[in-house]
Amino acid sequence: MKYLKTATLAAALLGGSALGAQAQELHFIMCGGEVRPADQTVIDQFQKDNPGVTVNMEAVPWGTCQDKSLTLAAAGDPPSIAYMGSRTLKQLANNDLIVPVEISAEQQALYQPGVLQTVSSGGQLWGYPHAFSTKALYMNCDLIEKAGMECKGPETWADLIKMAQTVKDQLGIAGIGLAGKDFDNTMHQFLNFLYSDGGQVINADTGEVLLDSPQTREVLELYKALTPLAEEGPTAWERDQLKDLFNDGKIAMYVNGPWGRGQHNADIHQLVAPIPHGPSGPSGTILITDSIVVFKQHDHPEVQAMAQKLAQALTTGAAQYDLDQSWGLTPIYQYEKMGIDKPFYQDDPFWQVFVDGIHTGGPEPLVVDFKSLQSVFTNMVQGVMLNDDTIDNLATKAGEELAAIK
Amino acid sequence: MADMTVEAGAAAPTTMPRRLSEGWFAWALIAPAMLFIGVIVAWPLAETLRLSFTDANLGGEHWVGWANYQALWDSSPFAQTIGRTFYWMVLSVCLKLILGLIGATLLNAAVPGRGLFRVLVMPPWVIPIAIGCIGWLWLYNGHFGMLAGLAQRWGLIGGPFEFLAYKQSAFYSAIVTDVWVGTPMVSLFFLAAMQGVSRDLYEAAWVDGAGRWYRFRRITIPQIMPVIVSMALLSAIWTFNSFEVIWILTQGGPRGATTTLIVDTYKTAIGNYKFGEGAARAVVIVVLLASFSLIYLFFLNKVNRKYGVK
Repeated sequence: MKYLKTATLAAALLGGSALGAQAQELHFIMCGGEVRPADQTVIDQFQKDNPGVTVNMEAVPWGTCQDKSLTLAAAGDPPSIAYMGSRTLKQLANNDLIVPVEISAEQQALYQPGVLQTVSSGGQLWGYPHAFSTKALYMNCDLIEKAGMECKGPETWADLIKMAQTVKDQLGIAGIGLAGKDFDNTMHQFLNFLYSDGGQVINADTGEVLLDSPQTREVLELYKALTPLAEEGPTAWERDQLKDLFNDGKIAMYVNGPWGRGQHNADIHQLVAPIPHGPSGPSGTILITDSIVVFKQHDHPEVQAMAQKLAQALTTGAAQYDLDQSWGLTPIYQYEKMGIDKPFYQDDPFWQVFVDGIHTGGPEPLVVDFKSLQSVFTNMVQGVMLNDDTIDNLATKAGEELAAIK
Repeated sequence: MADMTVEAGAAAPTTMPRRLSEGWFAWALIAPAMLFIGVIVAWPLAETLRLSFTDANLGGEHWVGWANYQALWDSSPFAQTIGRTFYWMVLSVCLKLILGLIGATLLNAAVPGRGLFRVLVMPPWVIPIAIGCIGWLWLYNGHFGMLAGLAQRWGLIGGPFEFLAYKQSAFYSAIVTDVWVGTPMVSLFFLAAMQGVSRDLYEAAWVDGAGRWYRFRRITIPQIMPVIVSMALLSAIWTFNSFEVIWILTQGGPRGATTTLIVDTYKTAIGNYKFGEGAARAVVIVVLLASFSLIYLFFLNKVNRKYGVK
């Protein structure tokens, strides 16, 4: 009887440890504050296909999410997998916190131009691009027509200034909404205009900092001209708040991504136009991606492998198409090459604007200290908005500061 | 119990082992307090000091000697931040003390509904600072906020005005909010002190023909001076390290106009993951506050002696 008890106990222990070896828990931090239904569907299926694997989702708002993932990783308790802004990748990779991703050559060829550039550093890919955005100019045609103009996208910066000035003079409201708060989209807005003037931030091949350039000065001149025509105190506003001003009829135009259409009041007669170009280049846009990254698991390589598998499931084929379509994102793949018949953006003038911008767009710069990168741009933009320094000094200082952190 | 006392009393003066055990007993009594201070104060302080001599970041740390301090010494923005922090502290503490004194005097006056007023002064102190600051964030909004709306309605300004968009207005707006948060506590402490002042003193002065202002100046102020001194010092330390108000309202902007030392330290250590550089800033804060407190106490002791306060 005693032997029987011992044998039973041993069997239970062995069984338990075998079960433990099979059971895997993936901690998934999802930036954005919610798990999108398209992603949840994939995750549910993944758990069904991999018995014993549990994916614990933690949705965290953007404001604190990236800090949380980075801090956990730095403290030695990294999440298994996270959905984050691609601008964090170089910092994570340089500190040996994430592992390179495994994207096949065939799949790489299907991405839109410029997408993989946003996740590559040192010759390797560090994230699975999962959300892609380009930007365009939203116009409130009701206001523009009320000011006596035809509602047609301004082609050049001079046209943009003239249009904003007319709205301001005729209606007494802001002709354009500008983002100038200490926030990432202040940098993004600046880069939209820089890339619409043939400017660059960092040379992708040589790594040389090119921010201190005539194009940067031209963009700053544009800001100087637009600030008096913009909403009061643009240094207190970020892009998501501008949407409220647009809905309230307090600004006639502003730059936003394709999701803006769904956020605007249905009764606003809106038009979307490419970002007007400057004197030195064609219209462009910033190409931004958010990516799924796999954190290094020193003691649990099996968790790391499973995380790679989940990331691949979320970012391939139909799963990614569902997300792009349902969430109103710029298509991350050239879906027509995947054999999808009439993808959602084809033959749609609205989407045309966002897709056409891809080819002339530029990436969000990847540096080792992404928070400082943001500070460089917000300092420069706020400097011109507050008339705090000369344009020449602002551009020169920004170039020096960027060189110090790249 | 009685037996134990007798036994201890009889044996203690003569035997060495007993004396040793008394020593150990004394150490055992203070050990919990020492452990508490060691864990809560000494160890974090020592660790911060150690980190300040490294380049600790997300990827690890290396000893860099005085490099972090040298960089701070050479940095003119850091010097500006120190100056701004002291200006922030002095202005905010002075306003809190003045308004707190006025508030306490009014709440101490024999007016109908005094109890209600005493309760009404509490909310800024009682509600979470973050909630209060978010309320102020809305008040300061130029397009949707009440302050700009009222100012426009009364014809004080011609259009919307963003209080947090400009360097000066953002700084003084943050001061107003910090004073709003900090004044009630100062008021209540002063009120408690005023209620402890003997009525006899006032009655004697009144009989001698002393007016209200004279009684306030020569009786109330000297009598509550120890509380004023304590509150001034505590308030100075809290205001110097005030983080939530600035972070929620402006995050230190625009262009660093509201960046105080504590915000700068947070941005460096937590925001940019430069733990070593952040630790050096934290050490500078400790040194500055300790020096300030010593100088402050020295002068206030002089003031106290002048008022005859022990």
